[in-house]
Amino acid sequence: MTALGAPRPRGGLDKRTARKGWLFILPAVLLILALSFYPMIQAFLLSLQKGSGNNLSYGGLSNYQRLPRDATYVAALGNTFYYLIIQVPIMLLLALILAVMLNDSKLMGRGIYRTLIFLPCATSLVSCSMIFLQLFSNNGLLNNLFMRWGWVSEPIPFLTNAVYARLVIIVTMLWRWTGYNMVFYLAGLQSIDHQIYEAARIDGASVMQQFAKITVPLLRPIILFTTVLSTNGTLQLFDEVRIMTAGGPGVGTATLSWHIYRSTFEQVPRFGYATAMAFTIFVMVAVLAFIQMKVGERT
Amino acid sequence: MKKLISLLLVTVLLLSAASALAQTKLTVWCWDPAFNIYAMEEAKKVYALINPDVEIEVIETLSADCETKQTAALSSGQTDTLPDIVLMQDNSGRRFLDTFPGAYFAMDGLVDYDNFATYKIDKFTSEGKRYAVPFDNGVAATFVRTDYLEAAGFTLADLTDITWDRFIEIGLKVKEATGQFMLVTQTGYADFVSMITQSADFWFFDEEGRPNINTNPAVRAMVEVIVKLHESGIVKEAVDWSEYIASFNNGSAASTIQGCWIIGSIVLAEDQAGKWGVTNIPRLDIESGTNYSSQGGSSWVVPASSKNAEVAVDFLSKTFGESVEFYQTILQSSGAIATYLPAAEGPAYAEPHPFFNGQKVFEDLMGYSAKVPLVKYGVYNYEARDEIVIAIEAIFNGTSIDDALNSAQSAIEFIME
Repeated sequence: MTALGAPRPRGGLDKRTARKGWLFILPAVLLILALSFYPMIQAFLLSLQKGSGNNLSYGGLSNYQRLPRDATYVAALGNTFYYLIIQVPIMLLLALILAVMLNDSKLMGRGIYRTLIFLPCATSLVSCSMIFLQLFSNNGLLNNLFMRWGWVSEPIPFLTNAVYARLVIIVTMLWRWTGYNMVFYLAGLQSIDHQIYEAARIDGASVMQQFAKITVPLLRPIILFTTVLSTNGTLQLFDEVRIMTAGGPGVGTATLSWHIYRSTFEQVPRFGYATAMAFTIFVMVAVLAFIQMKVGERT
Repeated sequence: MKKLISLLLVTVLLLSAASALAQTKLTVWCWDPAFNIYAMEEAKKVYALINPDVEIEVIETLSADCETKQTAALSSGQTDTLPDIVLMQDNSGRRFLDTFPGAYFAMDGLVDYDNFATYKIDKFTSEGKRYAVPFDNGVAATFVRTDYLEAAGFTLADLTDITWDRFIEIGLKVKEATGQFMLVTQTGYADFVSMITQSADFWFFDEEGRPNINTNPAVRAMVEVIVKLHESGIVKEAVDWSEYIASFNNGSAASTIQGCWIIGSIVLAEDQAGKWGVTNIPRLDIESGTNYSSQGGSSWVVPASSKNAEVAVDFLSKTFGESVEFYQTILQSSGAIATYLPAAEGPAYAEPHPFFNGQKVFEDLMGYSAKVPLVKYGVYNYEARDEIVIAIEAIFNGTSIDDALNSAQSAIEFIME
């Protein structure tokens, strides 16, 4: 505080407060710079290096030029978008419907339902994948039951047929993540005023109309948020695939993250190339998030 | 105050005394409790008599995990996470020595290499230096339930020196007679891809180390055999290792074709004692085809980062490197056939094996071992094998063999660029 009557310092109070504000966020900024941006720059430099193991040398953009010729990368890219396009819309729609149903104050025991649907989220991805592996393997629970009931004579190749295996992975993701997204929607629904629905009912709006004309528009920021989050998560899909199918059969269920992991740790390691692949995911996430936000903002 | 000082002095004295007595501790990563871990535990007992100050801790680590962990540690420079001794697949030797120069401890002069089979030493030799103590012989054989064969009217002799076509014929009859699968292997047939190719004296690479897949007669014949096996319905395709082991332990498969180290897992089913036989593997019906191959032998390496590298090498050299008695012990219970040549002269090799109905299994396996075609492994063995596995999967789904092998060839060429 300056003494009364003294000339005000140039820039005034605002600038000084601003300076103090910067001091407050400085630790966080420094941490982000050191732990996030510095590794990103290092990773970019690594992505410009070619060679295997510790025998690395700068090779310009050669790693990025390799990408389109890498059949596994192209296949993994296709699979990743397959998961994204099928799984994310189903999951978000399901989460929204569940949230609306469970938001009904007349529903008995809705706390129990909410907990049950959210609970898979508390499972680690590894255990969740192991459980689904047990369910769907050739001598797993489902095949055992189907055979006992006489529905099938041979086990269904859930995990060894690429088409089925991709669906099983989608089902696993749905089970694991739907509840998570539902919680966001539930929180959003609480903030919508009841009176709006009451007014709509008095005007004779049906349940579907209320859902489409009130719930969805008012939840738009949250729908946008969950879409960006799920897109980001699906593009980095790894655990389920690694554990349940190891990318197989062939590269039928392979994802980009699985290919990155394999090129880094399982095959003759090519760190530079793997990092270049990781950067392509980074760019895709950024571009998709940007598009989604542009579309989401439009009214 | 005086009290406190004396207390401190006593503590300091005690601590230094304790550290003087502290043992050297070696940690070991290896896999397979019935085989490698068992052998390591026995080696521990032998070494405890020679150097009781050394404590050895064995940490069970799957083969694939050993490799990913080493890759992660060596590439990040965090080598203090590595153990003092690691078991490594022979197929991976060149890959780790070449991609991480200087990461392993050279053992020349510390281990008597004259007593080991040359083909084993070669897999871990880089620029004239030797980096491993060879361990087991991976000679491949057909391990089969003789009671199932008899049920279909066959004997072990009918399964000896045969082609794959004949094997499938017999398999169909065995399946008809017993209702069980003739053979079990893991889905993808990855083990068969390398084992069968090597049996015909070919490998995935030519003499100069270039990928040799789409014009390789053995690879083509091998792929054709695997497609036939898959379509015949006589093969149980196990989704993972435990299902694979369970399939012969619970009698739902009549045979397995594998490296001889699988004996350790076969004899676990004590109720099947006397019902098993061993013979050579089926051959490819091409000119160079033989009934012999190898699958998955491994060797002990010491990371250069180990603080006790010399102790570790001394331990390996005095047990795996020079004790005939030790090899006699592990042979009988786990089937660990040594690549340490003097071990073969021990009496255990000539003894009839009760589990295999009195057959002199080890003598037979040593006989096969001498006939295994010696192919030249490269750095990219597993990558090439995996590309062929992908090609086979594509063929199962209707792609032509030519197209699939051409893509495998270009895929491996691409990886090696």
